Amino acid sequence: MQLALEPELSRREETVRLGLWMFLATVAMLFAAFASAYLVRRGGSDWMRINLPPVLWLNTALLVAGSGALEAAHAVGARRRWLSASAACGVALALGVGFLLGQLVAWEQLLSAGVDMPESPHSSFFYMLTGAHALHVVAALGVMLWTGLLTWTGAGRRQPRRWAAAMHSTRTIWHFLLGVWLFVFALISLY
Amino acid sequence: MSHAATTVPGHDQSHPELGFIRRYVFSLDHKVIGIQYIVTGLLMALVGAALATLIRLQLGWPERTWPLLAQLLPKGYAGGVMAPEFYLAVVTMHGTIMVFFFMSYVLVSGFGNYLVPLQVGARDMAFPLANMLSFWIGALSALLMIASFFVEGGAAAAGWTAYPPLSAVATAVPGSGMGQTIWLLSMAFFIASFTLSGLNIVATVFSVRAPGMSMWRMPLTVWSYFIASILGLLAFPALTAAAVMLLFDRHAGTSFFLPAGLVVGGRHLTNSGGSPLLWQHLFWFLGHPEVYVLILPALGIACDIIPAFTRKPIFGYRLSVWCLVAVGALSMVVWGHHMFVSGMSPFTGEYFSIATMTITLPMTVFGVNMLASLRGGAIRMGVPMMFSCAVLALFGSGGLGGLYLGNATADMQLTDTYFVVGHFHMMIGGVTLMATFGGLHYWFPKMFGRMMNETIGKAHFWLTFTPFFIIFFMQHFLGIQGAPRRYYAFTAYDFLRETRIQNLVVSSCAMVLIASQSLFVVNFVWSLFRGAPAADNPWEATTLEWTTSSPPPHDNFGQAELTVHRWPYEYGVESGDRDFADQRVPPGRVPVTA
Amino acid sequence: MSTQTSVFHSSTVALLFAGLGLGGAWYGASIVMPSLASRHGAGIDSMLSYLLVTTGILFVAGYCALAWFIWTGARRRRIDQRLTRRRTEWLVSGALGLAVGLIAEGGVLAIGMPVWSEYFDATPPADAVTVEITAQQFLWNVRYPGADGQFGRNSAAAMDDVSNPLGLDRADPAGRDDVVTQNVMAVPLGRAVRLRLRSKDVIHSFFLPNFRVKQDIVPGMTPEVVFFPTREGSFEIACSELCGLAHYRMRGFFDVLSPAAFDRWLAEQATPTAGGPR
Ligand code: HEM
Ligand SMILES: [Cu+2]
Ligand SMILES: [Cu+2]
Repeated sequence: MQLALEPELSRREETVRLGLWMFLATVAMLFAAFASAYLVRRGGSDWMRINLPPVLWLNTALLVAGSGALEAAHAVGARRRWLSASAACGVALALGVGFLLGQLVAWEQLLSAGVDMPESPHSSFFYMLTGAHALHVVAALGVMLWTGLLTWTGAGRRQPRRWAAAMHSTRTIWHFLLGVWLFVFALISLY
Repeated sequence: MSHAATTVPGHDQSHPELGFIRRYVFSLDHKVIGIQYIVTGLLMALVGAALATLIRLQLGWPERTWPLLAQLLPKGYAGGVMAPEFYLAVVTMHGTIMVFFFMSYVLVSGFGNYLVPLQVGARDMAFPLANMLSFWIGALSALLMIASFFVEGGAAAAGWTAYPPLSAVATAVPGSGMGQTIWLLSMAFFIASFTLSGLNIVATVFSVRAPGMSMWRMPLTVWSYFIASILGLLAFPALTAAAVMLLFDRHAGTSFFLPAGLVVGGRHLTNSGGSPLLWQHLFWFLGHPEVYVLILPALGIACDIIPAFTRKPIFGYRLSVWCLVAVGALSMVVWGHHMFVSGMSPFTGEYFSIATMTITLPMTVFGVNMLASLRGGAIRMGVPMMFSCAVLALFGSGGLGGLYLGNATADMQLTDTYFVVGHFHMMIGGVTLMATFGGLHYWFPKMFGRMMNETIGKAHFWLTFTPFFIIFFMQHFLGIQGAPRRYYAFTAYDFLRETRIQNLVVSSCAMVLIASQSLFVVNFVWSLFRGAPAADNPWEATTLEWTTSSPPPHDNFGQAELTVHRWPYEYGVESGDRDFADQRVPPGRVPVTA
Repeated sequence: MSTQTSVFHSSTVALLFAGLGLGGAWYGASIVMPSLASRHGAGIDSMLSYLLVTTGILFVAGYCALAWFIWTGARRRRIDQRLTRRRTEWLVSGALGLAVGLIAEGGVLAIGMPVWSEYFDATPPADAVTVEITAQQFLWNVRYPGADGQFGRNSAAAMDDVSNPLGLDRADPAGRDDVVTQNVMAVPLGRAVRLRLRSKDVIHSFFLPNFRVKQDIVPGMTPEVVFFPTREGSFEIACSELCGLAHYRMRGFFDVLSPAAFDRWLAEQATPTAGGPR
């Protein structure tokens, strides 16, 4: 039997979704504030572009792949194939950790090239924006770990609605942070 | 988004009986959390008032020495004379504490937590755990802020607006050392705490309302919390971003806000290219909505108190709701009126001036609605009503002051003078303070099951409102005479000589105002233990919180099914021996009139 | 009912509001601004007068209406008319709201904007006296370009509080005749004044109360103000943006002199040791 992908939501589930989206809206406002500061500061006479490490492209790919793995986990979970779902969650987690490590590598490469935070406004924003995004990713990984454990310990079988709700929150958060990253990456590399 | 759910909302989260700690300290109950916030806020208000005393002693009697204070505060009053750096730290902390830790805590998070679920007929907030976290993060941030007085260099001294470079360069003023760092961290915690409780309020209003409680049946109090919370959620992240950047400027050598070529106290800084104006934009993008976050609940509270004491419905309910919405929306696009002479382009100034003036339209309509609500009423002048009339009066005079400041041409002369100080104390200080006292007298019986004393309450009103009005009304005119704000003394200038007597009057009134708050403290504590037992609905009011016991049970409404049948202002109707119908009364018993 | 308070008590509250309204207007009417000494300042003063009159009327009317409603309401046992028709509500509040909105917006557009643009759009006349003011904690460095009308080069790197507060490049010929003073400046009556404002350290704000001139000086920016003094006299400069410990006594002197007296004054300042505090 297949779990309906979008079951009729209970009132509680709808409240949680609403709360989650409002929270994400405040996160979006935070990055919007950083971005508007970026645009203002970009006009300064001392703006000096730094060379962004190419590993950022790889990291972007990891983040996208993480989103894909989560989608897979969701889809197979909905077909009650819990083992595959757990595996997909594990892959998504690994990709998320990989993303963070990749960001660290990017920092490391910049630092060893002598480009530290005060070097130029561009590098200041680079470290600040990637750092702020990474902190959010760390929190999101916590949520993902929780969902992965739910899947792995069989909670999905016993409490399918609870599992579906957790999965939904995780996917929302992760896709949202992917969106934020694409925005940040575009901002710092294109403008 | 309204739901005709069949179950009692929030019933699935009713909590079992708990021990003392879980019940009163780490409680998940919105009523307990609300009261925790209120008590914390009132304690912070005492700190803020003590700081105000020091400010007014200095400005009223600038040449006096204070041996007693020298003993109590040896660092700030070396030799009995207030140190200028201590004065600036005191002014900064007074503003910060009053705006963020008194008003936000008591009025927004405190009353908001207590009232919103009760008034929409919910059993608790949407996210009780987040709510508890909100309070404890908030308490931590308050403690941190107080602690900053005791670090090297003392508390932050760059004003509550913390403009860099003054706030960014440690050597610019003593408070810009460790004190400013703690200030920024504490603000970040404050914002986290506000975000959690704001999310809760919005989610509760959106989706945990009782059956029948449509948006157009919500009391204005709920509407005002709803809109204020959305505003806060959207505006506060800007300050988080700014605080992070300022911290990096202070500690990591970046130049977000610091331009090239600074020479502070003879030391050459190596920064380049940053923009101090950027901070001002980010700060006021938060700061202006923040003032509405505080004033909207104050107005909402007054609008709910007034009909209970005039015995007739509020005037223009729907119109007032639209005004709240319009004010909320407009307040996001007028922040630049704090920066008319900052060096921002004069065209931008014109835009912000015109935009600001459009706010006067919904604000006036709202005020007129409040005033018209009094007309033709059968007024009982209880203590909550006295304070609500004071809300209306201060809202009027503060708003008229806004007409001067929003007008860029007039603001050129008035900005950064005591006119601004008078204006915002009428609004963010007075409207909110009067609503706080009115609201505490009004809901005290619900919160604690006892009445507050009327006689002390009346004396407290007279000794609070009268000096308050005189102080801040006169400050507008000090500003017209040119007196700049944040001055340690007015003695250095000839053109300010005329203000000596006026400052003496202001300071004397301030002493009366502050001393008379002891009446409130006594009344509060005494009534808590000895007040006359309160009935469930002592004011004969219509909103849902009055339909349950005083104080309400843990799940707010007991086992009773709750269905709402009418709007919240059904006063002046025939209902047996009563002249009102609460929101549960079915249309069969009393006709629904709106 | 504990809320059944006496008519006497309510009446005193009504009288309190009426008294504060009338007393406030009486006090406000007795206040005078610092005496006016600039041309555009007359526009600012008429803006303020317009606001004082209109908002004064609204203020007194509002407080008296509040007092009247309380006074009469306290004497009523039964309410008068329960609900107003929604159309009437919109009309009454809407009309009053529009009226105040028009007073406010009309003031900005009809009186305020012309003054605002006169002040900011003014192209300085060719004969304007140009003065550079460099604020620092806690004094005003004043510099005149001298006979050649050119300011010499200076740089932040060369700034030294004791020997060279403005960081002047002594080799630059244009700077040879620059006149430097601290906290004192003078201008001749009859010519426009053009001030170039800079700050070395934190934000200051250059405030001339009598001239209705106030301009924040954000470091990194070089705002200019242009205005026209209308009478001779000795006036004060104040700082109106919090800049640190001695913000409250960052006092300067601004003298408007007759042209002859001004030339004499400038020559006096132009001694090689110029630059010390007065
Ligand atoms: C008619 C509506 C209002 C208008 C047109 C208005 C306009 C202004 C303007 C233009 C300023 C900047 C003055 C300056 O720094 O030169 C100002 C300052 C301020 N206003 Fe209002 N205002 C209004 C209502 C309110 C309300 C409702 C509140 C608070 C509840 C409020 C709180 C403040 C505060 C706190 C400041 C001072 C901030 C600071 O510089 O420290 N205002 N107002
Ligand atoms: Cu504002
Ligand atoms: Cu200053």
